[in-house]
Amino acid sequence: MLISYKWLNELVSTGLDAEELSEKLTLIGLEIDGIHAKDDDTIFDIEVTSNRGDCLSHLGVARELSAALAKPINIPEIPSDSPSETSRVVIEDPKDCYRFTARIIEGVKVGPSPDWLVRKLDAVGERSINNIADITNYVMHELGQPMHAFDLDKLKEQRIVVRKARKGESIKTLDEEDRKLDVSVLAICDAESPVAVAGVMGGLDSGVTEETKNVLLEVACFDRDSIRSTSSRLNLSTEASYRFERGVDIEGVVRASNRAASLIAELTNGTLTEFSDVYPKRHKPVSISAPDLAAEFERLSGIALSIEKIDGSLEGLGIHKDSDGAYRIPSWRHDMSIPEDLVEEAARMHGYEKIGEELPRASSAGEYHSLEPRKRRLREVLASNGFDEAMSYSFVDAQKAGAFAKVKAMGAENEREVRIKDPIIEGADLMRPSLVSGLIDAVQTNFNHKALDLSLFEIGKAFATDDAGAPPLERELLGFVITGREAHANTALRGREMDFFDLKGAIETAGDSLGTPALVFRAAEIEHLQKGQSAEILLNGQPVGSAGKLSAEIANTYKFKQPVYIAELDLTAILETDETAATYSPLDVFPSITRDISLVVSDEVSLDQILRTVSGGGFKNLDSVSYVDTYSGKGMESGERSITIRIEYRSGARTLTDDEVDMAHEDVRNTLKSKLNAALR
Amino acid sequence: MSEEKDQLDSIKESFESEFDRFSGLLKDGFKGMKLTAAEKLSKELSDFRVKHTGKKSPISGAMKLIGKVAPEKRADFGKSVQGIRSKIEGRIDEAESSLNRYIESSKTESERIDVTLPGRRHQKGHLHPMTILRQKIEDIFVSMGYAIEDDREIETDYYNFDALNIPKDHPARDSKDTFYTTDGLALRSQTSTVQIRAMERRGAPIRIIAPGRVYRRDTPDQTHTPMFHQIEGLCVDKDITMAHLKGTVSEWLRRMYGRETKTRFRPSYFPFTEPSAEFDFSCFKCSGTGEFEGDKCGTCRGSGWIELGGCGMVHPNVLEGCGIDHKVYSGFAFGFGLERMCALMYNLDDIRLMFENDVRFLRQFY
Ligand SMILES: [Zn+2]
Repeated sequence: MLISYKWLNELVSTGLDAEELSEKLTLIGLEIDGIHAKDDDTIFDIEVTSNRGDCLSHLGVARELSAALAKPINIPEIPSDSPSETSRVVIEDPKDCYRFTARIIEGVKVGPSPDWLVRKLDAVGERSINNIADITNYVMHELGQPMHAFDLDKLKEQRIVVRKARKGESIKTLDEEDRKLDVSVLAICDAESPVAVAGVMGGLDSGVTEETKNVLLEVACFDRDSIRSTSSRLNLSTEASYRFERGVDIEGVVRASNRAASLIAELTNGTLTEFSDVYPKRHKPVSISAPDLAAEFERLSGIALSIEKIDGSLEGLGIHKDSDGAYRIPSWRHDMSIPEDLVEEAARMHGYEKIGEELPRASSAGEYHSLEPRKRRLREVLASNGFDEAMSYSFVDAQKAGAFAKVKAMGAENEREVRIKDPIIEGADLMRPSLVSGLIDAVQTNFNHKALDLSLFEIGKAFATDDAGAPPLERELLGFVITGREAHANTALRGREMDFFDLKGAIETAGDSLGTPALVFRAAEIEHLQKGQSAEILLNGQPVGSAGKLSAEIANTYKFKQPVYIAELDLTAILETDETAATYSPLDVFPSITRDISLVVSDEVSLDQILRTVSGGGFKNLDSVSYVDTYSGKGMESGERSITIRIEYRSGARTLTDDEVDMAHEDVRNTLKSKLNAALR
Repeated sequence: MSEEKDQLDSIKESFESEFDRFSGLLKDGFKGMKLTAAEKLSKELSDFRVKHTGKKSPISGAMKLIGKVAPEKRADFGKSVQGIRSKIEGRIDEAESSLNRYIESSKTESERIDVTLPGRRHQKGHLHPMTILRQKIEDIFVSMGYAIEDDREIETDYYNFDALNIPKDHPARDSKDTFYTTDGLALRSQTSTVQIRAMERRGAPIRIIAPGRVYRRDTPDQTHTPMFHQIEGLCVDKDITMAHLKGTVSEWLRRMYGRETKTRFRPSYFPFTEPSAEFDFSCFKCSGTGEFEGDKCGTCRGSGWIELGGCGMVHPNVLEGCGIDHKVYSGFAFGFGLERMCALMYNLDDIRLMFENDVRFLRQFY
């Protein structure tokens, strides 16, 4: 809202220059959005909070300054003609129209406005139209009361009916738009049809023109919600609707009408005649009982101030203490109902800057969220292993996201996705059920910029709901995506091409950092992953995620030209698992003997099977078994490969002899041969 | 006797003449000799030693003669032979150690490296700037006795609005401002919802910080995204005043931006606090002067102040709704947007970058 420095000082002589005034306004809660010089004036753009409709005028701002600076307010001389109820105005909908006044001004001469008026309007960004329209605007900026002038002779039967629009009614508004009105819109009508959209904009056909002789000046008060909903329905926001939505002073309606009518009569040589006022339900002033406001003030502000001082600053704002000790709130304030409101007003006038700074006395020790320390470790470990942290929107495109399997641990079979009504970004209509589609989008973004070597992780919530109607499940997931080659610091040379096992390694590293029992990978078919390069991840036998190569089908839709490996884990489930604790076992006393075995097996036999066959075989003195390497290719039949494992034999009681180890080892070899159909090399 | 002497002289002479090739090089310190040549020379020197001091060497032959010399001359002769022998060995030793030193230093020289070549390691990864900032803020508040809380992002109207004293007709409830799911639940529009749930769960006294995602129907532009992060603080106890609010927010900002940081509290309006305020802090770029390097400061647009968030004393309706007696307890709450703070901190011109996961962006933070 634009406020002129000069105009403001006519209403209250602040004695402050523009900069000081700007500072003062800021400190009493009228935030300055901008300041600019205009001719010999300074214009403030003030952002008024939505609860302070009373500040949307020069008088409103002047009232605040008058109270804060303890300077008198110079309200211009306004005639005090009294209206009476007449049959000219009927309010059919008193729920939405609280008060309606109509002043008749006869014999007007419409013409250009005098200079002083043009300049005042120009200062607050209003274009001059004619002397009548200009006065209505002027008084709105002066007193905060929107109003509208009709050409009386264009109103059918020269009367006003305030009612809801009827089905099929429409109006051409002053902006020359034809607007269909629905039955929720409050309309100002003549005997037949709407002549204005109440509180928003007048009609073109009933407006004042150069030919107008007689005027009906409407000054009214409408329900705030009614105006808000009309303005939003018609997608039409005006200076008038802006003020009505925030509340005008119902008790100031007559004064505003008198102010405008007398100015119009003066500028147009018109004669003031009939003054109608329909006011079905009189305003009942709000009264706040606060028997010990000084104590309340000190309790909240920390400042001890005498009740006289507090009452004094409230007086300045028009808040008077009744004889029974209750505080009566002026009719222009719509934001006060409890003693705390009074405290705020007194504190504001006293100045927030005068409130001290103190720390509350210590109570309890601070604590991180119980899962945060492990998550921090996870993030740090992944970052030091070359992963960049991604952060994506919680919304995804349902169509795209449909291609991805969800982490199984997410919940029951009958769970469904959480959809958003009227999304704002095109295609962002689903609360993400998984992090995968966001990570794939990240890959695409980076490929577009020719960044081909990527290692990203993301920690974030995914959403699902079940049919029980309970609030949605919100689980934190951990996602990974890798593609391209290994990146080494300080060299432009790209490293080895990454594959499934780089992804698996990263997941294992993540597991280590979280202190989980070992994560187990088991071959599994996953919707969005390539068959044969996809695994389910298990923790304590429970599925907690998946990992693998993005399927060709999906890769093609994104036009990816290089393999992308992607994984997702249910971090919530993992973090609910206890951390493993280290245990000590005595150091080995006797030396071990190691033997390697290279066995040729069919591709169907997994390393896991081989290792389990050895470790679970109950072989004598077998201490441990480990993987050495795999070979396939030259010299091997297709469909088979050679795997080398290393077995360590040890006794806790003595040093083993080669002969006893040879015997045990022969057992192992025979078992592998028979159980896994392995050829030994 | 002169026969023996002649023999010794000739041994001496032939050694000298053959050693000549070494002594010349020795004198020059093997200057310019290649490592391979030096190693070859070392081999030759060791052959030379065998030839001149080995069992079959002339001097060894002369040693054998000592016994055959007349007894009265034997001592002199022996002395002479020994003298020549140690002289020969001394010369060879000297040449050998010098040559070895030369070889050692040549080898060291050949292994010289450029220590400015890069260390061998993986490229390091990067935490998201929002994570870095959030952790920093959490650290400060935990040290000030606050517990970090987190809660639902999809909420009922009760937690998102009613419990926060947001009137039924408040524009924030409009589906123009708030996202709703097709099941009619709201995506929380402020982290203040966590206050409510925490107060219900923990009662008073309570001190919490709640970082989290919030959702508002803003069309994305340089300074808006429909999803962003807020951090909310709440302290409810006996005798809590606005002075504690100011003290806490100011102390936190001083720990973030330095001890000289100043704060400013301006009256404002939020339905869930009364009295309410907005807080600004003195610009860290221009130290609140509004000028930076002779120009208007870009960070604070010349005002010297940076607007950060909203705060106030918890509204009695909010306390009562959570079962806390507002006559006994009072409290303050504050909240601010993390993206904005992050953008200020790193001088970002477009907060949409935060959620695009462009590695050219992500790799700038650590
Ligand atoms: Zn600055």
